[in-house]
Amino acid sequence: MTSGLPRRAFLSGALVSAALAGCSRPARWDRSVVHQGSRSRIAIVPARDYDDRLVEIVLRGVRMFALDVARKTVVLKPNFVEFDPAGVVNTHPALVAAAIEAFRRAGAREVIVAEGPGHHRDTEHLLTASGLYGVLREARARYVDLNGDDVRAVRARSHYTGLGELYLPETVLKADLLVSMPKLKTHHWAGVTLSMKNMFGCLPGSVYGFPKNVLHWAGITESIVDINSTLPVRRFAIVDGIVGMEGNGPIQGDRKHCGVLVFGEDPVAVDATSARLMTIDPRRVPYLAEAGRFLGHLAEDRIEQIGEPIDRLRQDFTVLPSFAHMKRFA
Amino acid sequence: MIGEAVAMLHGTQNRDGGWPSSHGRASSTECTSLATLALARLDAGERAAADRGVRWLVACQNADGSWPLHRETGTPSWTTALATLTIASITDEPSCAGRGARWLLRQQPRTPGMLASLVYRVAPQARVVQLDPELRGWPWTSGVSSFVEPTAYALLALKRLRPRLSGAEVGARIDEAERMIYDRMCRDGGWNYGNSAVLGADLWPYADVTALTLLSLADHRGRRENERSLAALRRMLTQVDSGLALSWAALCLSAYGQDVAPLLRRLHLSWTRTHFLADTRSIALAVLAATDGARAVAP
Repeated sequence: MTSGLPRRAFLSGALVSAALAGCSRPARWDRSVVHQGSRSRIAIVPARDYDDRLVEIVLRGVRMFALDVARKTVVLKPNFVEFDPAGVVNTHPALVAAAIEAFRRAGAREVIVAEGPGHHRDTEHLLTASGLYGVLREARARYVDLNGDDVRAVRARSHYTGLGELYLPETVLKADLLVSMPKLKTHHWAGVTLSMKNMFGCLPGSVYGFPKNVLHWAGITESIVDINSTLPVRRFAIVDGIVGMEGNGPIQGDRKHCGVLVFGEDPVAVDATSARLMTIDPRRVPYLAEAGRFLGHLAEDRIEQIGEPIDRLRQDFTVLPSFAHMKRFA
Repeated sequence: MIGEAVAMLHGTQNRDGGWPSSHGRASSTECTSLATLALARLDAGERAAADRGVRWLVACQNADGSWPLHRETGTPSWTTALATLTIASITDEPSCAGRGARWLLRQQPRTPGMLASLVYRVAPQARVVQLDPELRGWPWTSGVSSFVEPTAYALLALKRLRPRLSGAEVGARIDEAERMIYDRMCRDGGWNYGNSAVLGADLWPYADVTALTLLSLADHRGRRENERSLAALRRMLTQVDSGLALSWAALCLSAYGQDVAPLLRRLHLSWTRTHFLADTRSIALAVLAATDGARAVAP
């Protein structure tokens, strides 16, 4: 749930707030978080199915980037919101298994899987029913429930929510590399949910409630930007676009086979590319439009595609009528 | 199972007397409350650990009567209801629990304002969520709206303390919170975090939240909504095998006078498979369920 506000009133309020904010022009982000570099590299890698070729595919994707993970702690953050036996809500456990193995082969000292499910407090049910528990046992990988992890207050490095500081879990703060592993999905509040929205799961429900409703009151767009600019950890993303979700995501949408994985270090460029794969204009997604101002690259000419070109793998994802404007490319 | 689970609780108790969510972390009010409640039901040998848990809770209470999530944070939290319930259930320390209850009664969840209320009254189908925005329960965190689980904890605490609480507002607040909970029930019974439908699509209930919520409403067991939700819980229990869900379900069904022996056998099997992921909350609730703990928490 976001709030009790009807959607139109909420959007109108957000626009008025944005306009007022634009008049006064306070510093909305710290200089330290401004993305460095004139271009970002992104890799779109075909992957038809969740089969035993995934380890090699993920390893190939990871090696396209200069990620030095030797003797480092890598935290994989998949998207496990809740379990629907008929749905495709969560990052596929086979991809998590492949990523554990790939980062181990790349020399990581430890690969931890960590998530703070947004809706469900019953982590054991979520893990066992989804199949992730079996994967973790097989791989002998440690799982951390971020909803119950020890937390530390970290000063926000952008200032869209007004929260001032964010409570972040120690497991995330101690990681050498944090890998966001979202599902390629549409989202009924944010338009899309990708590597940046997936970071909601880093904020513990014990502090922010279920379904992280403090962040919903603070604004979903605003929270996505503040969380991603504040996480003081090196980042990478692997987007599960083998089977995505269209329509009424992130829970009740329909499956959409897309056959891709998206890799990258710049979360804005990863999400912009993923949106383009869904035939959604990232410039019309509010959180991406805002994050593209300082946190990473949004423009196509600033993103170097080092894997397959987008046009060969693009799919037409349906969206809710209220997001139809996102399908019109400016 | 009980012996192993109790041993695990002993093994995870921190030197400060509190319990963390899992071994090696900082003590939390939620886990300390549940572990203390569970161990206090066992024999004198286990009570020493529970007494240390009570001392941790008493020491962590804020001056305003609330409890923080952890001793270090200090900020009042939803766990106040659990700490209040625990102290009210197992000690003769009424002042601590009474101050916790009075803090709960002072809490005002955020409501979405006049515009949303007007839309709800005039054109409820235009709202993205189908719930009465004015009904107040309790929020997870100050300054946000009411949700089902923290409201259920608050009801359990306030109902246990009700004979000791004076003032007409106690009954009125309990009544409003119950109406809020029933308003958020899923179409076929049961509850999730607190939304029955979004954008016209029905959402499904969760077994753990449904059992907890029914437990908090056990003094209304004859109501049609309770019966529907009990039926929903039984359906969900054919799909769910977690320690958390089975434990809450056993506590709930016990409070409704039903045979929980089959559930306790499943709880034992589940323990052998996963050890409940070493989650203190689930382990403590399993001990509570296996020792007929419904009497310690149900209204």
